[in-house]
Amino acid sequence: MRDVYVAGIGITTFTRLEYPLSEIAAYASMMALSDAGITDIDHLYVANMGSARVNHQTALASAVVDSLSLTPAGAAVVENGPASGASAIKAGFAVVASGLHDVVLVAGVERMREVNNLEATDFIASLTHPLAEYVYGVTLPAHAAMFTRLYMEKYGVTERHLAMVAVKNQNNAMLNDFAHLHQPITIEGILDSPEAMTNNPYVAEPLRFFDACPVSDGGAAVLLVSEEVARTIDRPLIRLAGVGQATDTHAVQEREEPTDLLAVRRAAAQSFEMAGLTPQDVDVAELHDAFTILEIVESEEVGFFPKGEGHIALEKGETALDGSLPINPSGGLKGKGHPVGATGVAQAHEIVTQLRGEAGDRQVDGARTGFTCNFGGFGNNVVCLTFVRED
Amino acid sequence: MAVDLEKILRPIDNPMEPFQPKYMQLASGETMVIRQIERDEVPDVLMHIEPLLHVERDFYDVVAARVYAELLAWYRHRMQDEYVLVVQIEGELAAVVNGRQVTPKLGMSLHTIALRRGLRVGAHAFAAKMEYHIDTLGHDAVLIVAESPIGFRRWMIEYQLEKRFETPHELGGVPSYALTRDLFNRARSKLLVGRRPVPPEILAQAEAAILAPSDPPTPPEDLLAATRSLYDSTATALIAQRTALGKEAENA
Amino acid sequence: MARDIYAYKCRKCGHLHYPFRMVCKECRENDFFEFDLVPLPKKGSLLTFTRVYNLPAEYEVETLGLGIVELENGMRITGQLEVDEPAIGMAVEGEVKVVRKSEYDEFYGMVFTAA
Repeated sequence: MRDVYVAGIGITTFTRLEYPLSEIAAYASMMALSDAGITDIDHLYVANMGSARVNHQTALASAVVDSLSLTPAGAAVVENGPASGASAIKAGFAVVASGLHDVVLVAGVERMREVNNLEATDFIASLTHPLAEYVYGVTLPAHAAMFTRLYMEKYGVTERHLAMVAVKNQNNAMLNDFAHLHQPITIEGILDSPEAMTNNPYVAEPLRFFDACPVSDGGAAVLLVSEEVARTIDRPLIRLAGVGQATDTHAVQEREEPTDLLAVRRAAAQSFEMAGLTPQDVDVAELHDAFTILEIVESEEVGFFPKGEGHIALEKGETALDGSLPINPSGGLKGKGHPVGATGVAQAHEIVTQLRGEAGDRQVDGARTGFTCNFGGFGNNVVCLTFVRED
Repeated sequence: MAVDLEKILRPIDNPMEPFQPKYMQLASGETMVIRQIERDEVPDVLMHIEPLLHVERDFYDVVAARVYAELLAWYRHRMQDEYVLVVQIEGELAAVVNGRQVTPKLGMSLHTIALRRGLRVGAHAFAAKMEYHIDTLGHDAVLIVAESPIGFRRWMIEYQLEKRFETPHELGGVPSYALTRDLFNRARSKLLVGRRPVPPEILAQAEAAILAPSDPPTPPEDLLAATRSLYDSTATALIAQRTALGKEAENA
Repeated sequence: MARDIYAYKCRKCGHLHYPFRMVCKECRENDFFEFDLVPLPKKGSLLTFTRVYNLPAEYEVETLGLGIVELENGMRITGQLEVDEPAIGMAVEGEVKVVRKSEYDEFYGMVFTAA
């Protein structure tokens, strides 16, 4: 297997965008190509979950590759629920690592706000098990809520810990130009004050409004290249050193241990093994905090903290921007937004920006090893990526 | 002669109980005050509504135009039984709500315009307005319509307003919805918040001056940045264009 | 006539599955559709629960109680809850009723109440 490098990155603002879906993907792609100073590619992967249902557009990759005038390069869509982004990166990685291609563009995109909120909720709920879950009205917030209740019972996580993640990530997002939310919040305002129940109502008990990420449109792109190509470009050498993936049972009720996210554990281990690194080597991480509880649990399952102690590390400030292991400096999905197909690629965008030393006010000093976790379904399909700076 | 004409043209307002100011803490930790204003403060408010006439999204332009007219008409004594409440966050104007008393038992909700987004300010202001009609003024029902989909979702759906389509609303003559005392009581615990009385220093700050909002809705920076950037308030297209221009300048 | 929710018993090794899968998780040796239908027990204990407020458009109610129940035979099922004050470990009993309606169809599933 050859080494694979990230030569260029691009991202759009995550918010409500009025552009057509393929244009959002094209914007991010053009920025990535421009960043690397590359004009031709061998292949394009587009990560997207809802184009057919929400945007009435199928064969999205064919549309994007032509919009960018990059034909006759090959193109295909990669759909893996909320893990589409990192799955598309894995596909691009495999194609470059195998020697089949030298330059692969991976663009993640989603335009969920083309439909109203109820439609969007139902669209996301369609990833649940049709007969065992969807038919009961189970939505992703419902899954996250039931999981949270078990975690609170077993490990002593409280609503305050969840609120701390929300506050940390929304405040980090204030430093990110492309983030969806630019609204600082305080624990007092969302939890303690007499008006907190209206400011922060329950969405699915015990999860509240500020525990869930916003519904966003947006696109992100990365350019994966061979070492030979990477060395011709005058940008820092960032290598995608580890790729790991694992799946678990579709119906959440069938998980062996209801408080475990085994797929996260396995995917992370696989990613570290390929990179020849351990969780302790990581300087900065982007974890999938579609719900605040997930940041806490993932930080344990990937190996940063012992199982059941993620909330303690959070309390101590270890995962804050100025902590020992900053998690979600970009604001995470909570503060930055979650255009489903784009998220996995946006996480990679943030890590590469951090490793290049170009993250401005949210820069984690001296970051040389970064890690992302892209969480598909409700923990039944997870892809983890490890990036290292080589120069 | 001029004085006599004014006597004819100027409506005589019926007595209306004043709104008791209240305050609350927002998700951001900031303190918000809702209070009623008299005619003398209208010019201070109009100053901050005027820029919104040019924000052509989310129906800001339509609502701002109508609010401007309603406040100016009230200021110049050409509106019958209107009231205006302002919402201030640390003194800055965050929302304006207004309405009228049609009869001692029927209220007419006019407008709700929020100058600060993302903190449910408009929703809190609307709830306060309904509290004023039903609890303070003693109206049995309030007629309501919505210009924007956001308004429709927040009021018609969240409060489950009753359809009164046979009654045209003053705003555009469109079919009205109604909030009855019964519906309001059902929604009260969920949607009405705030504490009274307002602590003296906080009320004094609000009454001292109506400050300009620090982050009001604005039209997009550069209409020519991309053909569709009219709707891109985030200027993604602008940033992309600047990147391109930057490279051109570098290579030049 | 009371309805049942069925588990699927592999004809090769006897392992019970709910929900349905094509290949037996235990032995992976079954042929196409080599499963027997076995009704799931209706009694169990509540493993976890929630009350959801933001429902898809098809639901006319404002909120829905949902939970995962560990049934008497050790298998787990997700269902709707009609319980005023649910608690982890609480004994519940299920009945198969309509749990979702679309424009043309009705879908059946388990609805649990306090036992």
